[in-house]
Amino acid sequence: MVLHTLNAAPGSTAFSDCLRLLKQSDILLLLGDGTYAALKGTDGCSELKNSGAEIHLLEPDARAAGIVDRLDMQFKLVDFDTFAALSERCPTQQAWY
Amino acid sequence: MIYSLLVLSSPCSGQGSGTALRFAESVINRGHQIHRVFFLDEGTLAGAVSMVSPQDESDSVQLWADFGTQHTVELILCVSSALRRGLLDSSEATRYEKTAATIHPVFEISGLGQLVDAALVSDRMITFGG
Amino acid sequence: MTPSNNRSLLVIVRHSPYGSSLARTSLEVALSSATFEQAVALLFMGDGVLHLLPDQDSSGIEARNIAKLIASFPLYELDNLYVDEAALSQYGLALSDLPQNLQAVDDEAMHELLCQHDHCLGF
Repeated sequence: MVLHTLNAAPGSTAFSDCLRLLKQSDILLLLGDGTYAALKGTDGCSELKNSGAEIHLLEPDARAAGIVDRLDMQFKLVDFDTFAALSERCPTQQAWY
Repeated sequence: MIYSLLVLSSPCSGQGSGTALRFAESVINRGHQIHRVFFLDEGTLAGAVSMVSPQDESDSVQLWADFGTQHTVELILCVSSALRRGLLDSSEATRYEKTAATIHPVFEISGLGQLVDAALVSDRMITFGG
Repeated sequence: MTPSNNRSLLVIVRHSPYGSSLARTSLEVALSSATFEQAVALLFMGDGVLHLLPDQDSSGIEARNIAKLIASFPLYELDNLYVDEAALSQYGLALSDLPQNLQAVDDEAMHELLCQHDHCLGF
């Protein structure tokens, strides 16, 4: 189980590279510009959902971006404590940016 | 568990450095130990003592320094990344005949061996980039 | 140091060689790990495969030659080198064009690399 952290907008090479290695058994945390991938009805959003991975996004970053009311329901807003908890569950982390 | 962090993000651009700091605090609050925070590439600017933040932004150098002091966590700036960005401790300043040290004293300058060592002893290595 | 607390490292290089200082830094991390006899593997993924182009001549841009740095890897016994095969073909490169001794990997095998190593350092 890998914890992927994605800090890059959909359309970036970081986003597409991440998508290639995101497996159903993995966890993805969207942070910074990565949070835009959770916008409801977008291509990026459906590509991420198709991976079958468990997907979260960092709440302060999503609030800063002004996207909280436009998120796909399947994505969970999390705080830093949950981010730390996710890192406990996953032996390795890969940062995409 | 024992954690170490690798910070590649500049404190002047994007959220990566601030995110790393808040993550580090949460890890400690959950009862884990942070062995070391290793700053590399643009991340080394986190130790720039002469940096002046705008009044409506937090002072990221001081926030990291307070974190390091309060939790006795080693804050290491990679020497080659630091030197090329003008970040020197007093001994490097003397060696290169520069007028003053430019890093906050809570930070230390050291080599990549400290990153390798951190990976060796830590259960988790978390990287912050972008 | 006992083998039981030796943890393996995977360094992933995803950025192009001369576009930022990050790329060179990532190679120095891998070299440094090898110098300290840490088990380390290096994966060139996406734009990172551009590091492997053989005819680099950086004399005109006042930068150190990345291809030469990579050519020195065997001296440090840094020889677990993997390359993203999809990115190679995206850039019109074949494994036979490249001087290094590399193992081409697909998405499945790259994910396997993430899981096999204790730590992953993504650049």
